[in-house]
Amino acid sequence: MAGIFVVCACAVFVCTLFLNYNLDMVRIRPLLATEIMERLYEALVMTGKVVCAVTGGCLFLTTVVLLCFYIRHYIDAHRRELGILKALGYSSLQIAAGFWKFGLSVLLGCGLGYGLAHGIMPWFYAVQNEDHLLPEIGIRFHPVLLLALVAAPALAFALLSVGYGYRKLGCPVLTLLRGAFAGKLPRSGKERPGKERPFLAELQRSILRQRKTLVFFMAFSAFCFGAMVQMSASMDGLSSAMMAVMMLLIGLILAVVTLFLAATTVVRSNSKNIAVMGAFGYSFRECRRAVLTGYRPFAWLGFLVGTAYQYILLKVMVSVVFAGVEGAPEYKFDVPVFLVTLAAFGILYELVLYGYARKIGRMSVKEVMGDGE
Amino acid sequence: MIRIEKIQKSYGEGGSSFPVLRGVSLEIPKGDFLVLLGASGSGKTTLLNVISGLERPDGGSVRYGSEELGHLSDAELTRFRRDHIGFIFQQYYLLPGLTVEKNVKMGADLSGNKEYRKIIEAVGLMGKEKKYPHELSGGEQQRVSVARALAKKPEVLFLDEPTGALDEETGRQVLDYIDRLQKEGGFTIVMVTHNANIADMAHRVVRLNSGRIVETYQNKTPKGAYEIGW
Repeated sequence: MAGIFVVCACAVFVCTLFLNYNLDMVRIRPLLATEIMERLYEALVMTGKVVCAVTGGCLFLTTVVLLCFYIRHYIDAHRRELGILKALGYSSLQIAAGFWKFGLSVLLGCGLGYGLAHGIMPWFYAVQNEDHLLPEIGIRFHPVLLLALVAAPALAFALLSVGYGYRKLGCPVLTLLRGAFAGKLPRSGKERPGKERPFLAELQRSILRQRKTLVFFMAFSAFCFGAMVQMSASMDGLSSAMMAVMMLLIGLILAVVTLFLAATTVVRSNSKNIAVMGAFGYSFRECRRAVLTGYRPFAWLGFLVGTAYQYILLKVMVSVVFAGVEGAPEYKFDVPVFLVTLAAFGILYELVLYGYARKIGRMSVKEVMGDGE
Repeated sequence: MIRIEKIQKSYGEGGSSFPVLRGVSLEIPKGDFLVLLGASGSGKTTLLNVISGLERPDGGSVRYGSEELGHLSDAELTRFRRDHIGFIFQQYYLLPGLTVEKNVKMGADLSGNKEYRKIIEAVGLMGKEKKYPHELSGGEQQRVSVARALAKKPEVLFLDEPTGALDEETGRQVLDYIDRLQKEGGFTIVMVTHNANIADMAHRVVRLNSGRIVETYQNKTPKGAYEIGW
């Protein structure tokens, strides 16, 4: 659940900071004396809204995907125990009701993000106030934000957990009792006739097809890295160094957490396959190739989409926020930053995957045969 | 010839360690059909794991001809299993996302065997090549596992309770396939079972108890899968 915790913390941190600032800015509205002040005010309000909508919205959707992924994974991993409970007479709703605990990670993550935002707020306000272009804005506590950004998401995600768990547990008892396979089982007759591929290529394709969520997470990790790191480099010129550092940190945390989450799940869910392959004589290198390397193209694709996303977003933001402002900053695609970010992501991705590949290499082939006698 | 000498193996560490194999020695000639018979906890599966190179013993040696397994690195041991050994497990361990044909290809690709479809036919699964494991019965899944193991043309086939999860009818069927294919292929079989009736099919039976060999005997006239009791 660390993934949900971190994503929620990042989302609420950003949203609390900007929404609190936007709410506090309302008090200086009557004090705006010039047209430049009016425009700057509008620009700041718009920046806050866009940052919250994009960051908050994007991370909210990610949390939904992550939560559903965790619950499905939990049910897959505990199929037999849950099947026994159902067989004993517990209803799906009774079992799913216990899934509200998944909402706790949201509560803790949101709480942390909210607390961190309030911790950094004096510094954030001081930076915003230091150019004295607008009347000084002071920090005020807005209970509505605590409700909207901590209590409401925790409650909503607890309800979502129960609802999604109920839906997933709706299958017949025997299906739960029989199957220990985590993932969507394919059906025969749905395969298109194609050329015959070597076994390792077939396995790689099958792994990617069965767990599309993991493909999404790999791509999302690269997307976060590509978008946020490049955006942070541009932020220094467009906004402030503090915004740049914040974006950089959030981007890195999201990318690393998602990458670790995806890689851990890939290796864990394929441990039996890897062990059988090892017993049959497939080498560590071949197992690694079949299980891990299939995600690489999706990661690079995610990076490219992230690059395009940050470019379009900043271009639009600059043209909207600074429309008509004299001496407004200009935004151009930064090729050196792109290349450095690309290289950094390549190194991070390959290092993490190498670490997991070593893990595959250390897997005991005896694992498939139980503990023996 | 496989020569096993004074194999020792314990699990756990320090004071809580308990011996599972206590100096087991054994010779398995090429083409033999050997059954390791014993009750649960007798050490038969651990012995199979050690002979097949899945586990390293704490003491003693396992030799295949002049090759001593203890001298091989992990990578070399993997290579050794790839070139010489096949496995059939009680729980089949088929790859759930791959069809029958592709599961069998897992073994076939290791030996460059292009004629693996003949083995699918030999185990009576023609027409089910495009099915996925979860669409097959237990007996059919075990036959896929047999085909997968044989498609790599092993010199030695290790079977760990291959009929343990099957009913009598399908169990006999699977054993019959294995028996017939061994007679055709001439490979060595080492099978672990707790069922003394199944041991009647073997050329030779080694009975284990508490990590020691307590009896070894030859079956002068090994029985077929449909002749043994159950």
